[in-house]
Amino acid sequence: MGVTPIRPGQLAGVPLGRRAATPIIEIDHVSQVFKTSSRRDHTALSDISLTVGEGAFVSILGPSGCGKSTLLYIVGGFVSPTSGTAKMKGKPITGPGTDRGPVFQEFALFPWKSVLGNVMYGPLQQGMKPAKAAALARTLLAMVGLTGFEKFYPKELSGGMKQRVALARTLAYGPEVLLMDEPFGALDAHTRTRLQNDLLDIWERDRKTVLFVTHSVEEAVFLSDKVVMMSRSPGRIREVIDIDLPRPRRRDELLLDPRYQKYIVEIERMFDASGDNELPS
Amino acid sequence: MNGLWKPLAPVLACCGLLLAWQFASLGLKNDSFPTALDSLRAIPPILTDKESLINILASLRRMAIGFALALAFSIPLGLLMGRSRSTAAFFNPLLMLIYPVPKAALMPIIMLWLGVGDVSKTLVIFLGVSLPVIYHSFEGAKAVEEKMLWSGAAMGLSPPERLLRIVLPAALPEILTGCRTGLVLALITMVTSEMIARQSGAGNILFNALDMGQYDTVFAMIIIIGAMGICLDAAFEIVRRWLVRWSEPQFDMPLSFS
Ligand SMILES: Nc1ncnc2c1ncn2[C@@H]1O[C@H](COP(=O)(O)OP(=O)(O)OP(=O)(O)O)[C@@H](O)[C@H]1O
Ligand SMILES: [Mg+2]
Repeated sequence: MGVTPIRPGQLAGVPLGRRAATPIIEIDHVSQVFKTSSRRDHTALSDISLTVGEGAFVSILGPSGCGKSTLLYIVGGFVSPTSGTAKMKGKPITGPGTDRGPVFQEFALFPWKSVLGNVMYGPLQQGMKPAKAAALARTLLAMVGLTGFEKFYPKELSGGMKQRVALARTLAYGPEVLLMDEPFGALDAHTRTRLQNDLLDIWERDRKTVLFVTHSVEEAVFLSDKVVMMSRSPGRIREVIDIDLPRPRRRDELLLDPRYQKYIVEIERMFDASGDNELPS
Repeated sequence: MNGLWKPLAPVLACCGLLLAWQFASLGLKNDSFPTALDSLRAIPPILTDKESLINILASLRRMAIGFALALAFSIPLGLLMGRSRSTAAFFNPLLMLIYPVPKAALMPIIMLWLGVGDVSKTLVIFLGVSLPVIYHSFEGAKAVEEKMLWSGAAMGLSPPERLLRIVLPAALPEILTGCRTGLVLALITMVTSEMIARQSGAGNILFNALDMGQYDTVFAMIIIIGAMGICLDAAFEIVRRWLVRWSEPQFDMPLSFS
């Protein structure tokens, strides 16, 4: 771990070592084999081992179909692995729990609930008073830039708006671990940057652990302590790269930072070299 | 033009039908085919006659009870079948056996066992309504997006809660489609059951009139039963649209060519 320089007006970057002190998620030799409709075995993940420290921001990068979503489902407890174990705080994961909040690639909003109703759903389920849940939901909706859309139904929203509602809905019930599957995939560059910053704020403030799937190398480097690179040969971890950049991070500062650029170029080269970056054939 | 035409269209269609009937009947001059005017004239006496009203209300009551019981039974069963493979595996063969049997054909046996009273007739209505409702609830529950259930599970909903609070609302549009079919079938089985077990009801008035050769009453009853069907269906459609207003974009008229 290198010593991070202190810039004027900014605290020292949080050293990775401290953040990664206690493991919160331990994935141990996990493999996932699906039976396809044609009754053939299809390996989605093979022998994945990964430890995520409490409070860490870990991104998973990899070509389409390499098993990123499947890995998140296993940590979420929605899918049980064919072999190997996944643990949360030392306990084997046997099912979903409110301590792990998924944001699905497909949004999975409740179409019969309004935007506000969707975001209030989790807090209400946990016994929060309706007025308080509504206030919390409004705050989160304001954060994701959806003030004024409270009464809309999901069918009346664009893809990017649905994605933001899904994010607010998960944040609302306060899971310790966020399992985010390309949560900013459908957003324009501007909104994306804003939400990245908001996410980092929440993560810093509430000391959450984030497992973040993305296709964007730049996004992964900007957000993460650690970038896990996966490859489709099939579903393996290729490389885990520690991103040793100071926090809090600001895009305009980082863009001028040669270390930031070096990480991006390095990771992109690795993908190019593997020839694994193309769409599935 | 369009705005004026739309609410008038069904009225015009009805008038056209009645006109055609009137001329056809005048042309044919057949005793068993009264004119539209005569048939319409026979309606008020029926609707003001206490006996007939009691009969019609009894029919409607049986229909409502049969329909409600069928929904209370079929929706939960269909949803369970859609979400649990073993439940579906158990009930599917049973339903496949019952499905093609005309429910009215069971009426004689049911009458033999349960008599000709309300119980038999309500049971036949119940059977008639159940199958489409089970089928549509089943299909609706099967199609519920898995990630939606996962989201619920992550929020701490137990499996029964998920069935009630996620599968049921998510499948509601499909369930209500089944209920609408069920409602029409309830009316049909209601009349059929009264035709077989002649004792009371709207169907009974109709067939008694037929026996006595009062053809204007026969046709008047057909109009009354038909109108009941149209009104019930329209009322149900209003409720249905309101319940699933979150669902698909509204089409005012699926068949309009505008
Ligand atoms: N239920 C399933 N049955 C069979 N195969 C599956 C199933 N779910 C996923 N797979 C397979 O597992 C592999 C990994 O899928 P996964 O959705 O995890 O990929 P991904 O990395 O998230 O891709 P993307 O970036 O496109 O979202 C794919 O090859 C897919 O075909
Ligand atoms: Mg995916």
